[in-house]
Amino acid sequence: MSATTAAPAQTTKTGGLLATIANNARQYGIVGALLIIVVVFQILTGGVLLKPNSFVSLIQQNAYVIILAIGMVMVIIATHIDLSVGSLVAFIGGICALLMERQGVNWGLAILISLLVGLIVGVWQGFWVAYVGIPGFITTLAGMLIFRGLATVLVGESVPITSESFRGIARNYLPNVLGWWGPFDGLTIVLGVACIAAFAWSQLHKRIRAQRVGLVPEPMSLTVIKIVVAALAIGFVTYLLASSGNADQGGTPIMLVIVGVLVLIYNFILTKTVFGRHVYAVGGNRKAAELSGINTRRVDFTLFVHMGFLSAVAAVCMLSRLASATAQAGMEFEMDAIAACFIGGTAVTGGVGTIPGAVVGAFVMGVINQGLSIMGVDTAIVKTIKGLVLLGAVAVDIMSKRKKR
Amino acid sequence: MNDMTPLLEIKDVSKRFEYVEALKSVNLTIGRREVVALVGDNGAGKSTLVKIIAGLCQPTSGGLVVRGEPVRIGDVRDANALGIVSVFQGNELCENLNVAANLFLGRELRTGCGIRDENAMVVRARAVLDTLSSSIQVGRPVASLSVGQRRIIAIAKTLLSEPDLVVLDEPTDSLSVMQTAEVLEYTRRLRAEGRSVIMVCHDLPDVFAVADRIAVLRQGRIIAVHETCETSYEQILAEMAGIVDEDADGRGDESDGVPAGGAVGYRIRVGTSRRLIERRGEQSGLPV
Ligand SMILES: Nc1ncnc2c1ncn2[C@@H]1O[C@H](COP(=O)(O)OP(=O)(O)O)[C@@H](O)[C@H]1O
Ligand SMILES: [Mg+2]
Repeated sequence: MSATTAAPAQTTKTGGLLATIANNARQYGIVGALLIIVVVFQILTGGVLLKPNSFVSLIQQNAYVIILAIGMVMVIIATHIDLSVGSLVAFIGGICALLMERQGVNWGLAILISLLVGLIVGVWQGFWVAYVGIPGFITTLAGMLIFRGLATVLVGESVPITSESFRGIARNYLPNVLGWWGPFDGLTIVLGVACIAAFAWSQLHKRIRAQRVGLVPEPMSLTVIKIVVAALAIGFVTYLLASSGNADQGGTPIMLVIVGVLVLIYNFILTKTVFGRHVYAVGGNRKAAELSGINTRRVDFTLFVHMGFLSAVAAVCMLSRLASATAQAGMEFEMDAIAACFIGGTAVTGGVGTIPGAVVGAFVMGVINQGLSIMGVDTAIVKTIKGLVLLGAVAVDIMSKRKKR
Repeated sequence: MNDMTPLLEIKDVSKRFEYVEALKSVNLTIGRREVVALVGDNGAGKSTLVKIIAGLCQPTSGGLVVRGEPVRIGDVRDANALGIVSVFQGNELCENLNVAANLFLGRELRTGCGIRDENAMVVRARAVLDTLSSSIQVGRPVASLSVGQRRIIAIAKTLLSEPDLVVLDEPTDSLSVMQTAEVLEYTRRLRAEGRSVIMVCHDLPDVFAVADRIAVLRQGRIIAVHETCETSYEQILAEMAGIVDEDADGRGDESDGVPAGGAVGYRIRVGTSRRLIERRGEQSGLPV
């Protein structure tokens, strides 16, 4: 009796690791794909891809995609789409530049006003989607035209940025407050270790909480594997960052801090709050959400306001990086952000997707971009390859789902 | 508040859709602590009445009075605020969320500042499912549940708040015998707890098993309201089919493509088998 009951218990335990991985194949698959792509390009570029400074520029160049993808993934989970974010980057960047250069507004205030403009644009688009009922696709397609047009009117040729502090956002590092530890920036090492500890703690905490309420947590072996892999990855990134920079400064780029904070905040919102749950509910079954008393209009509205805000953040980052506002800024950014979401496992039908997934998706695109351009591949070809990657990722997704049925 | 004021009064409610008059001056009073069954053929307007009570659609004329106060129930949240919760036809659940998340959808427990209290919800969800003697695991994705299990989840949702009136649209439809018994038991329990229930149902044995009163709806009109103990299957069936009360306004406004001869068809079957009525199946889902 005890032998027969023990045997199946044993098999479920050992099968647990593989089964859990199989159930979450999409998430682990995309992380695996990213690692493979990194290794491949590391080899193809003769080790240039993961040189400290080119790694920093990888982050700085892709920060805006990640920032936009954070909002985009939430919008797509709720079965909408936002095509206007690229134009918003140009429009809000233009406003920010004009405020600083023509109106003489202090750069900090200019940023605040830009963020406010992003919120207002979000309110505008959210109103049409949520309260008038125009599909997000149409509303933001209109927005794409409207704001690109306005950006052109505002900016004209271009508006160069003279403020050094503002330009520093995209190119500077956190101050070297802890000094240099050998060749390494001390602060970066501390931050890296803190990240590893925080990740390990959150994984273990999740297990403990699941057990406390009697849910079956993921297998311990998987938790350990996750922590080890994350520790290795974060450790390696920390090493790269800590040894990056030049004689004056180096370490953790400010852009990485901005992106990291936004990812943490929005991931918290999406996974831990009532609002986040409602976003998934609206995407999973809008009617059920409505019947359950969820104010689906408000959810839609709020999402577009968030998207407007994040577009403004991306606009500021982009403006700082380019050091000049142009009407062409942010061209096709919406496509990069949308592609990052879908490569990162967001369901085409909505209801499914994660911010970390979208971030990984953004890095997949970014690494391919960077790797190919280091290799001197023509940008037209790069675009073609990115398109194929997107198609392939979603095809794998859909075919694996079909198999499960 | 006077305990004698009825819980809900439906006053002269009419509902006109583009081509169909789904409800025609419906008057019905729901007292406290009673189970009222709403029976009627497909297309009689039962779901429409339920949706009006639940706030999903607005009457074209007439209105609702809750606890003596005229009210406007603009949406599901208004209804919930008045202590009215509903289980609609079609078990709308979010496939991408698990059982506990679906149970608490729209009324998530929170630790404050809009942060969910996931632990409390899991514990509470399990307790609620236990009371329905259901062994569904709260962490399971809803996508993996059977129709009957989904219905249990939909019904369990009503147990999470402290409603005064629970409105159930075809709660036993497509359930197994055991599950049906569970739902009927649940209905009785609601009454024992001092709540009222409006139950839309096709299945007369189920109706007679739990209802205190039976309201018969036919072509958008309340044909009769009976105390359950003073009526019979035959009488109810005849009224549903329109045999007793030959409609004065003729069949010109026959609602949703039910052939005019439909009622005649029933005349032959009345008293022989209620199954024939069941088999006609549900035609109207829950329009958006
Ligand atoms: N949203 C709607 N638009 C138009 N007609 C409707 C709508 N909802 C219900 N009806 C019509 O109203 C009548 C009553 O429908 P319903 O209340 O669903 O009946 P029951 O639930 O009793 O089967 C039917 O003729 C149906 O076709
Ligand atoms: Mg119905």
